[in-house]
This record gives sequence, structure tokens and C-alpha cells, in this order.
Amino acid sequence: MSASLKSSSRGLLVPKALEAEEAARLAWEHDLSLSRHRFVEGEHPVVRIEHLNKTFTGTPVLRDVNLNVWNGEIVVVLGPSGSGKSTMLRCINLLESPTAGHILIDDREITGSSKTDTTLLRRDLGMVFQNFNLFPHLTAKENVMIGQTRVLRRSKEEAEGEALAQLAAVGMADRADFKPPQLSGGQQQRVAIARAVAMHPKVLLFDEPTSALDPELVRDVLAVMRDLALNSGMTMIVVTHEMGFARDVADRVVFMEGGVVVEQGLPEEVFDRPREERTKEFLGSIR
Amino acid sequence: MTQPEDRSGQRGVWPRHVLPRGWLALLCALVLTAAAFGPRAEPALAAAEAPDTGIVVRKATARPNEDGGSAALGGRETRLTWEGTVNVAEGVSSVTLELPEGSSFEGSSTRVTVLEGLDRQGVEGTARPEASSVTVSFSVPVAAGSLLRLEVSGMSFPSAGGDYVVSGSYVTASGGQGRLEDSPAISVEENTAVQRVVGWLDGQQWVEAWNSVPFLGMFLKPQLLVTSFASLFQGWLLCLLVVTAAYPFAILLGLAFALMRISRNPLLRGLSSFYINVLRGTPLFLQIYVAFFGLPMLGINIDNTLLGVIVIAVNSSSYQAEIYRAGIQSIPQGQYEAALSLGMTRMQTMLWIILPQTVRRVIPTVTSDFITSYKDTSLLSSVGVMELMMFSKNLTTVTGNITPYIAAAIYYLMVTLPLIKVVGIVEKRLSAAEAGQGPRPKGDGKGSLSVETIDSIGGESNVR
Repeated sequence: MSASLKSSSRGLLVPKALEAEEAARLAWEHDLSLSRHRFVEGEHPVVRIEHLNKTFTGTPVLRDVNLNVWNGEIVVVLGPSGSGKSTMLRCINLLESPTAGHILIDDREITGSSKTDTTLLRRDLGMVFQNFNLFPHLTAKENVMIGQTRVLRRSKEEAEGEALAQLAAVGMADRADFKPPQLSGGQQQRVAIARAVAMHPKVLLFDEPTSALDPELVRDVLAVMRDLALNSGMTMIVVTHEMGFARDVADRVVFMEGGVVVEQGLPEEVFDRPREERTKEFLGSIR
Repeated sequence: MTQPEDRSGQRGVWPRHVLPRGWLALLCALVLTAAAFGPRAEPALAAAEAPDTGIVVRKATARPNEDGGSAALGGRETRLTWEGTVNVAEGVSSVTLELPEGSSFEGSSTRVTVLEGLDRQGVEGTARPEASSVTVSFSVPVAAGSLLRLEVSGMSFPSAGGDYVVSGSYVTASGGQGRLEDSPAISVEENTAVQRVVGWLDGQQWVEAWNSVPFLGMFLKPQLLVTSFASLFQGWLLCLLVVTAAYPFAILLGLAFALMRISRNPLLRGLSSFYINVLRGTPLFLQIYVAFFGLPMLGINIDNTLLGVIVIAVNSSSYQAEIYRAGIQSIPQGQYEAALSLGMTRMQTMLWIILPQTVRRVIPTVTSDFITSYKDTSLLSSVGVMELMMFSKNLTTVTGNITPYIAAAIYYLMVTLPLIKVVGIVEKRLSAAEAGQGPRPKGDGKGSLSVETIDSIGGESNVR
């Protein structure tokens, strides 16, 4: 496999990706007690991360990360800044290319994908950014429409209907014709969520969606995310510092530090009875 | 207009039989001199010798009345000079000169000169001007063989201009009537609005006072300013044509080279850098010379104006390439990431996300570049493109006055000043829009979650 060849050439040796059935079985056994997710006999994880390594100019940021995400599962990734959680998220939709290791979406290896495959892959992975990254020259509605019309080739009418529905779902229907600079940070982030959801992705990636917001604006955005998590059945991987959100909404909490997954498990387990010393320290520091 | 041929012709046709014998030798000398300098009107000589043939019209001219020119203009006062030889035995008691409708003799004054040979006869005349004719009655009949000259001052030809013929009639001493033969045509030029304004200015005392100040008269002579505006207009249009024709190509070329410059392909990047650096690193003047003198040497002959368009387009494209490159690179990385995360290709990202934002950002800079290119068309005058500078240079050479250059400056400013204003407005709007202060669509101004939505979510509020 090209990915492993590439990785060995950089001095990082990782085993080949597991065969799908074998991987699913192992993941099942591993995750069964760690998540609120209702596991179904024989189901495969949507996202499979195996031995993921990422190095920035010689500095390792991710070290042998292994993680599975199941269909409809809400995974909240916690950790101090610089722990590699955002990088892991960005590796999943290949905004960063992994240095070594494997990422599989629906059992398909995406590491080492061609340009075209990467583009196709990203349709299935919606992303919400810390800084919203709305397109400032387009209105809120057009922001939600452009991916649908240009990428999914939906008709303008269909895209507009979907956009208005998604904007309504995030409480931004009355702001459909506003341009991003005319919206508050919280409003912009809600539009950004609508933009990602309108593409009907398999997985939604949230990269610290409330970190750039003033405290009073965080509430609305979290309300929208909570609604999405509880009512839409969407698979979500959320990197955040919002402990309340993690405790209430997450099916599983993953704690990362120093580029490795330190601990993962049910929210109440991780928050109330953390096993690892580093987890305790982190949770203690933010309480 | 008086022409040298006419003058010599008159000498040649002087009626010999009315001259005292003593003058004959002198006349011969004159005729010979005239023959040496110009052709003579032989047929007219024959007519003059025939008795009682009415009045033979010798000449009809209008005095030039154009400012800084030698044309006779219609619609402005001028002096009509008409001459004829009386070949009526009993003499002529009155002559009526007629011009086509639109001419005006009203308010004119007429001077009568009657010559017998070279002797001036004391004939008084009374002129009765009407709309387009004037009748001159003589105190004593003008004798046969006399040369009758009528100079009508303060008359005017029709404004439209054209070739006008003086016709008319005469009354003999005994009351008989005859028609005047048509005079040679007088060429009158159209009196344009510009000429009328100039004529009006000529008559103003303040203009005279203004022009008597050396600086004002040399740089800002009102009459010349008016005529310059009229003559430079064509050059101004050419400037606008060149720059507006060049600009779309400059934009496309600039964009292409900007994209090449940021491309991942080193060959494209190198090509683009070479193109941009060479064009930005050499004067436009040199580029014009190379194009206008170099290409013909290669056997490539392109119309001057078209070549001017090409040179301006190519030169401007190099500057614009840098503007677009800087513009594209000023778009935050997050915009690319957001577009890519939606599944857009790099091409789609560039086309739908990056370039539209870039265009907005570079409008002020590109407009400034447009202003530069517009002014740079002046350099094309050095290779004979008939643009604004070329016209003003010619006019200045003819008049020896700087005013045409000032007129050209005003033509340049007429375009550049509003554009500079536009740049300012656009910049202000852009920064306002980026700060979210632009015009807002209708809405309740809050945009918060509706109560219903929050209820349906049902969770607790912010826990941080």
C-alpha cells in the first residue's frame, strides 16, 4: 500500500490496514463498553483510524492514534491545546495529509487518495470550523446553497429549499439574505453548521466550533449542535472545550494529549471516574 | 478669398481702349509681369472688348473672418467685395447684388469705388440693404468702361456654409434693366457653434484684458481653449478607445499570468515571472518603440491604433497580474479549506470562492491602474498615433501657444478625477462591507433562535 510505503520511507513503520471484517470485530469488542452508541450486530464503523501519525516539520503531532466512530455516534474529543485533536480531525477529511497510518471511511482507505478521490470523499465529510469560514461575498442562503449546486449538482430550486430548511433548523431563516459580515459570530457559526448539514454528509466534523465566540453567543450554537446530535441521527466528531456539551450529548468522550489518545469512554466514566492521571489533571485544571 | 491668379488675371484683362495712350507702355509691362507669374483669363479679355454687354463681373470675394484661420465663415460678419466692368454705353445708375437666402445685408455699409483706368471717379453711392440683397444707387451714372467696385462691410453669409454666387441686376441711366452675370463662387465655411463662441469671445473686453497678461494669454487663452476642445475631442475619443479596448484583454491576460504565477507548475511559474518582471522592469516608452519599430522590421505590420491597444494591454496586464496575485493571496486560508471541505475542486474553489472575493478587493487598485494606462496612452503620440497629445502638440505648434496642452490636461482630468473619486468611494464601501456595515436586507434585526426551536431542543442552556 502506498501509504505504508510512504510512511516507511519517513522512518515511521506502521502495519497494513486491517481487513474490514476483522477490523469491525476488533472495534466492536473494543468500543462496546466505551460508548452509549447502540451497537448493531455486524455493523462496521464509519470512520476507522489506525496507527495515524502526523509530523509537522519533524515534530510529531499525532502518534499512533487509533479510533473508530460508529454510524450515528456522537464522539467528543477533549484535550489541552496542542494535543493534536484538531489535526486528527483535519486528517479525516484530508485537509492535512497523514504522515503515516490509515484512515478508512466506510472501509475505504482514504490515505494516499488521488485528487479526484479526495474531492469526492470530502462531500461525505462536512466540516464546521473554529472561525466559521463562511464565504463573505455570499449571503447566508447562498453559503448554504453553493456546495449543493456546484458540488452535488442539485437544481437551484432544490438547493434553495434545502438551504432555507437548514437555516430554519438553526434559527437563521430570517437572516437568509444577510451577508456574513452582517451577522454575529454565533449567527455565522449557525449558518456554517447549516452549510455543512445541507450536504447530507456521512460524518460531521466540528473543529472547536465555539472557541472563537463570545461567551454569550456560545449558547445558541451549542443549542443547535445539541439539537442536531439528539434529533438528526448524524454521526458527529466534535473537538471542543465545552464540558457541559460533552457530558450531556456525547456517546463517547475521547481525551487526547501529546498526540495520543490517552483515555476514552462513556462521558460519565471519563468525567467522574477518569482512570488516567493526565485526564484527571486536565479535568481538574478546567473545573 | 483673393487668389494670386485673380489678381494677375485682372491686370491681364484691363480694358485697353479706355486707357490713355501714355499708359500703354506701362500696361504692357504689367501684363508681361503678370504673364510671368500666372495664367491670364483670356476669354474675359475678349468679353471686355465687346461693347454694351452689360456688366462683366470681375471678382467676388469675402474677407476671411476665422480666428486663427484663413476661412470665410458663414453667419459671421464679413466684407463682400464685388467688382465688375461696366459695358453699358449709357452708364449704370444702380446695381443690386443678391445672395442666396440666409445671407444678410442688414446693417451693412457699402463703399463704392469707380475707376476709369487708374483714375478714381467721384461717384457717390447710396446703399439700400434688404434681407439678402443690397441695392446701390449712384449719384451719377457709372460710365461705360469704368470698373465698379462695391465693398459691403458688415454683411454675412448663411451659417451653413457652401459655395455662394453673387447675382443681381442693374438699372441703366435711361431706366433700362439688365441681369448681372453670376460671380465666381465664394467658398464659405460653416460657422460652427465653436466659431460662434470664439467670435463672441473675440468681442469681449475682459477676454482682451485676460489675454494681455502674458501667462494667461499663453497658457489659458479663452478662444484657443474653446477651439482646442473642439479639435482635441477626436484625440480624446481615441485615447478612450485605446484604453477601453485594451483593458478587457489586460484583465484577462493579467488574471492568466497571476494564476500561472501561483501555480504549482514551475514552468508556468517561471514563464509568468519572466513576463511580469520584464514588462514591469522596462519603461512603457521602450516597449512602444520595440513594438512600433521592431515588428515592421520583422514584416509584421499592424494598424497603429490596434498596435497601440496591444502594447497598452500587454503592459497593463503585467501590473494587473501582480495585483491579482496579491489579491488572491490575501484571501484567508480558511476560505480554501471551507470550499475544499464542501467537496469543491481547486478549480471550483478558485472560480466560485476565491476570485469573486479577489475581484472585490482589487477593484480600487485595478481602477488606479486603469487611470495609469489611460494617461500612458499619451506615449503613443511618439509613434504617430493620433491621440490627445498628438493633437495638442500639433495645435501648439501651429498657434505657438501652450493653451492646447492645458485643454488636453482638462480632457485627461475629465476621466481621471471622477475615477479617483470612484476609487475612494469603492474603498470606503468595501471596508464598510467587511465590517458588516453595508446595507441590510429586511429582517427583524435579531436573528436569534426562535422560542420554538429552543423548546424543541429541550436541553439545558450553556454549561461552560
